[in-house]
Amino acid sequence: MAISEISYLILVPLIVALINIVLPVILRKLLTAGTVIYLALLTYRLYTGDVTETLILDTVVFSVDKLALFILIFIQVLSAIILLFSLKGVKQEFQKAFFVLYPMTIAFSNGAVVSVHSISLIIFWGLTGIMLYLFAIMDKTKEASDTAKKTMIIVGGSDVFLILGLVLIWFLEPGYGWNLSNNQVLLSGELAYIAFFCIVIAAFAKAGGFPLHSWVPDFAKDAPVESAAFLPAALDKLLGIYLLARISLTIFKLTPFVHILLITLGALTVITGVMMAMIQHNGRKLLGYHAVSQVGYMIMGIGSGSILAIVGGLFHMVNHTIYKSNLFLALGAVEKRTGTNDLDELGGLGTRMPLTFLAALIGAFAISGIPPFNGFYSKWMIYQGILEIARSQSAGYQIWLLICLILVVFGSALTLASFMKFIHAIFLGKRPAKLADINEAPFNQWLATGLLSILCIGFGLFAKELPLKHFILPVMNQPGLNLLGAYSPLMLIGLFGLALLIGLIIYWITRKVRFDEVYLGGMEALEKFRITGTAFYNEIRNLKPLKGIYDSAEKKYLDIYDLGKHCSFGIAKLFSTIHNGQMLFYNLWLVVGLLILLLVIK
Amino acid sequence: MILPFLIIIPLLAAFLITLISGGRDSWAIVFSILAVISLLALSVFSFLSTGSQTFIYEMSGWKIPLTICLVQDALSTFMLVIVNLIALTSLMFSVSYIRQYSAPWKYYALFMLLIAGMNGVIATGDIFNLFVFMEIALFSAYALVAFGGKAEEYEASFKYAVMGSVSSTLILLGIGILYSATSTLTMAKIAEILPTLDVKLTYWVGAIFLAGFGLKAAIIPFHAWLPDAHSSAPAPISAMLSGVFIKSLGVYVLIRLFFNVFGGVAVFNEVFLVIGAISMIIGVFLALGQWDIKRLLAYHSISQIGYIIIGIGLATNLGILGGVFHLFNHAIFKALLFYNAGVLEMTTGTRDLRQMGGLAKKLPTTSFTSMIASLSIAGLPPFNGFFSKLIIFIAAIQAGRPVYAFLAGLGSLLTLASFMKMQRYAFYGKENKDADKTLAKVSTAMKWAMISLAVLCLLTSLMVIPGIRELTLDPVVAVIMNKTGYIAEVLGR
Repeated sequence: MAISEISYLILVPLIVALINIVLPVILRKLLTAGTVIYLALLTYRLYTGDVTETLILDTVVFSVDKLALFILIFIQVLSAIILLFSLKGVKQEFQKAFFVLYPMTIAFSNGAVVSVHSISLIIFWGLTGIMLYLFAIMDKTKEASDTAKKTMIIVGGSDVFLILGLVLIWFLEPGYGWNLSNNQVLLSGELAYIAFFCIVIAAFAKAGGFPLHSWVPDFAKDAPVESAAFLPAALDKLLGIYLLARISLTIFKLTPFVHILLITLGALTVITGVMMAMIQHNGRKLLGYHAVSQVGYMIMGIGSGSILAIVGGLFHMVNHTIYKSNLFLALGAVEKRTGTNDLDELGGLGTRMPLTFLAALIGAFAISGIPPFNGFYSKWMIYQGILEIARSQSAGYQIWLLICLILVVFGSALTLASFMKFIHAIFLGKRPAKLADINEAPFNQWLATGLLSILCIGFGLFAKELPLKHFILPVMNQPGLNLLGAYSPLMLIGLFGLALLIGLIIYWITRKVRFDEVYLGGMEALEKFRITGTAFYNEIRNLKPLKGIYDSAEKKYLDIYDLGKHCSFGIAKLFSTIHNGQMLFYNLWLVVGLLILLLVIK
Repeated sequence: MILPFLIIIPLLAAFLITLISGGRDSWAIVFSILAVISLLALSVFSFLSTGSQTFIYEMSGWKIPLTICLVQDALSTFMLVIVNLIALTSLMFSVSYIRQYSAPWKYYALFMLLIAGMNGVIATGDIFNLFVFMEIALFSAYALVAFGGKAEEYEASFKYAVMGSVSSTLILLGIGILYSATSTLTMAKIAEILPTLDVKLTYWVGAIFLAGFGLKAAIIPFHAWLPDAHSSAPAPISAMLSGVFIKSLGVYVLIRLFFNVFGGVAVFNEVFLVIGAISMIIGVFLALGQWDIKRLLAYHSISQIGYIIIGIGLATNLGILGGVFHLFNHAIFKALLFYNAGVLEMTTGTRDLRQMGGLAKKLPTTSFTSMIASLSIAGLPPFNGFFSKLIIFIAAIQAGRPVYAFLAGLGSLLTLASFMKMQRYAFYGKENKDADKTLAKVSTAMKWAMISLAVLCLLTSLMVIPGIRELTLDPVVAVIMNKTGYIAEVLGR
């Protein structure tokens, strides 16, 4: 067994996790922090140095290519920043387990990314799923346990499909053995299609693509908030989209039909996620549905087959992990101060927690795709890429792609709408009486969200110079893309500044402002008349055709998990009724079974 | 010359317990623990020393085909290790668990007989002798199922006895047909003569054996006794029954007869695949709807036996490797799950999952080991169940039967679902205030029984590593695949 540097990416955090089991909490934190820094340095070395391979039993098991390296870098960056947030403020009862699971999760995620051997990919993939479960059961409430169960059934169950898919690839292309580095299996014949879609199922379940997304909002709501930022918002997106990128770029050669199908699924994911997010009253659940919705863009981008859109999709994945963990952490900071994540009970915290407010605002702008933040840049690339491939399609496909594009652009607008609700409900409006003496989040927390906000801005302004040039374009072997024509973030920010300046000038010239209390019916408005940020969206909730859909969605008729549950219990009941406990009946089966055997065997 | 001791020791222990200890439980415990420890040591030693060789022990100086012979090859010693390993943990678990019943010494005597029967079935090379040992094991199993002495336990035991007897009659009929056709009872000799006879004979006897031993192995549609019997028995006995009993009397004999004696006829492999798939899928659906924790586990035994049978039915090297490996793994995690269920039943006084809840804090060892076992049976890495299922998947696809791989995948998914349900209702969620009265304490021996099996769930994964596999699983597979080799080795040609 040749142990190379790549295997340290897995071994070091794993050993740290095992040591952490016996350490006191403060040392656990220190050791984990040290590990994360070490891993970041190690990844940097891998990025700059020569690529090494790890062999186990004379087979290459771990290796990195450009794509894996790109994902690895962001795993380390994100886990460092989220760890910074978690150093102070993880709930007392979770602390011990949290700092064991944290390095372990990093180890397994790294393992999944560097695996080029199918079996080791399957193992690490499954292990990350188990980590998800262990985070979810930390909280001992009924909802948390239900969520843990649901998460594990969807994510762990999808492992089965990954296994089947990878074994089928091995069967179809025996020449490569179990190696996954560059198979280029043609999608021809039904087995190839089955293999492809099996792996797509695994990737969708992990990343939260429609229709396997339903665990994400639940997990976001019930698991510790740090883990919601860590896994479904950051690491699971990286892993799921990594797998999708891996199969659509190197393992399989896709056909136009599959491209269109993936784009459609992406569009559906965007729109279902955002529609559900709009009506949420729970902040974490809202973010959870957006974590689903944003995956749609990545699926569209990567599935489209246009290089521009693939780059956009990968870039969007990175951007999403940044702004979504930013938003989760900002909400977490608020939640830790106020003790609630219910949007109806929050409000007016902007003046009390200005730094957190700023971070959340930047995150909200980024996710809504407002230029010049990073979310806009990647969405813009995806739209362009899809238009580009639409050009070479027949008329029917063109219309179809256009519908998808309109859907996602509309989804983007709705994202903005729902984040205005989010920001308004937490930071603006009238502050409820009981939140009168809330203070800014602790240093480590606003530093973490601040760093993520800086990344949001930096990746938006210098997209071409920083992330695209160094991380993403090398993945595609493209020295440079010059398709973005007229859009220049700096010019845009200049225009924005100009508009703001003009606005300010007008404001100063015509300034006539009066601050006053709100009156209602001649008396000062009471607490109960406070309008919450969510109230505006009740209109949408009760709109004619949407109401029915929302109602059935809330009753979980549209959740594949619940559908599956009802089906299986139905079948189970059918079989159970045959088992009536009558021995005569059972003996009859024996006889009939024997007769059938005697008839069949000849 | 080890094999006879594997039968004599437990038989002797059983008689000593009844004769000497008569009523004194501590002597019964000492005798049985000593017996089982020596059995485990002997079986491990014989497994390691056998390798790919075959040793024959001819009883009382007569020669084959007149004598009863014991066959020591990789397959039989492998099974012996499993049986005695689970027996040891089961005994560790029993010591304090069985105190809640009256006259525990009888329990130990029956337990020893059970082991004697199973070891005999595995070791023997004579088909009628196999039948005798099987009946010894079955009779003690009937008694042990009813050991609690409640009405439902008697009912379960009665059902089991009736159905068991029907199947035993079928088996006896099959043996009779074979004897009349070949004039011998030594299995190797039968195997040698059978190809010279009409192939229809093999088919008929095969079908009869499939139904007879299929009932012992609880393959659908011959499974109906199992949920009652396995859920009514005391937990350590459930572990023995589900963990090793259905395998040694059912699966092992099926493998031995259909591969080594009948020579692996293709049509039987097809039947194995079909009934394996049926058991796997229907079993897991039945388990999914259960709220009685032991019944849930019992139905999973049916489903998991389905996996083993599919692996065997593929009849490729890889398939049999998967099947045999899964057989071993299933013994470990299913025994562990039944211990967990036993602790839950003992401490909460109920088997209904809906009346439990939030026990993770109160029973940390049970909760932790149960999670490991659940993840193993659901086939999640890095636990042993994952690797054996993976091998079965690969084997099915390699053999050009992806349908079975997908059915196995579906079964795996549903298994995961039903164990997540078990975890959720037993250990997490809201604590049930009614079940707050903790009835009994979990003793150290029980904890160690669970912990050691949980560790094994992880350690046995290492058996896939080629170096270790060549020492452990490969000889077993070689014995099964080398159909005529059995004849040659046993008859000394």
